[in-house]
Amino acid sequence: MTSYAVAGDVAWVSREDLDSGEQPAAYVTRLPDGPPMVLEGPACVVWLAVADGGTSEDVVVRTAELAGVATEVVRDDVTRLLAELEAAGLVRSDG
Amino acid sequence: MTGKPAEARHGQSAMPVAARVHLAHAVVQHLADGAGVDLLHLKGPAVLPDLRPGRRGSTDADVLVRPSHVDRFTSTLEAHGWEQRTEAETGSAFAHATCWWHDDWGWLDVHLSWPGCRVTAEEAFDVLAAPGATTSVAHVACRVPDRVGQVLVLVLHAARSPDKSDVEHAWRQSDDGVRTAVRALSRRLRADVALAAGLGELDDHRDDSHYLLWRFHAEGGTRLDEWRARLAAAPDVRARVRVLGGSLRVNRDHLRMELGREPTRADVRRRQARRVRRALAEARARIGRR
Repeated sequence: MTSYAVAGDVAWVSREDLDSGEQPAAYVTRLPDGPPMVLEGPACVVWLAVADGGTSEDVVVRTAELAGVATEVVRDDVTRLLAELEAAGLVRSDG
Repeated sequence: MTGKPAEARHGQSAMPVAARVHLAHAVVQHLADGAGVDLLHLKGPAVLPDLRPGRRGSTDADVLVRPSHVDRFTSTLEAHGWEQRTEAETGSAFAHATCWWHDDWGWLDVHLSWPGCRVTAEEAFDVLAAPGATTSVAHVACRVPDRVGQVLVLVLHAARSPDKSDVEHAWRQSDDGVRTAVRALSRRLRADVALAAGLGELDDHRDDSHYLLWRFHAEGGTRLDEWRARLAAAPDVRARVRVLGGSLRVNRDHLRMELGREPTRADVRRRQARRVRRALAEARARIGRR
């Protein structure tokens, strides 16, 4: 199964004191020219799961667990987001 | 479930300033690495957490650049969308920094030297960079002064700021070993007068030519007091002339930022008139007190 990790030329920060509202947020960018991207709520969870490293299923499970839903509820969305993040050069996969 | 560009909401950046500052440090370090430029990251997220407890991030990113690398660094910044907004000569009484803006990363202060250090800027950089310390900002390794250097930098900054909380956090909570090392470092950088100003010990340096300058920054005063202090600290006649020239001229960079547009000749004339009237009023007040 494909594993994901944060790409090498990426800067990102996600901390509670930097969250802009009720939802957790990760602020992510490719170096050095951006653009900056905000990943909020469940998308932030996906990002943090990728940062911890693991397969797409690991990311799905962690996201579902923290969102309090079944894995099948988020699997398609998580998979699509991972593909978008990879296409944007923000994450890399070994698949 | 998608990510969105940081500027997607309400036509403004959805990114908090503090998050933007983190990314700015990372971006600038990446650019410096690519250009072979030596930088030290100062203040804000580059500072050890226990030296600034409970404080939100800075509103801009501060870096100290090796003086001999400045031209290469500024060319690199310009090639990546950064715009210089102030000149070093007009940025402050110490003429030590240029201010840059980027639409994505916000404000960046590029320090050419750190006020208070009276050795050459190149030597000061070498000394502060020597420990080879790094810290992770936005998951990018950024070069920083070590703990002793960070404490000194923060206290020197506090010496010219009404906000002394840096001293509270960085100095009062440091142990005796760190304090002794900071004092030793300040002597090596010939920054002992500025350190004393930050620590409230300035009266120990009454005979020093920089005493008035630091007293002004520690305690405030009129613009005339500032001129007197800067004249006293100027090392030679040429520097004294430059001080007066700078003091009597309208700061176009600041006026541009205040107006939000390029100042016209009329703007400059009006501002110059206001400055002259204010200076004359100060003079009259002084005469009246005699």
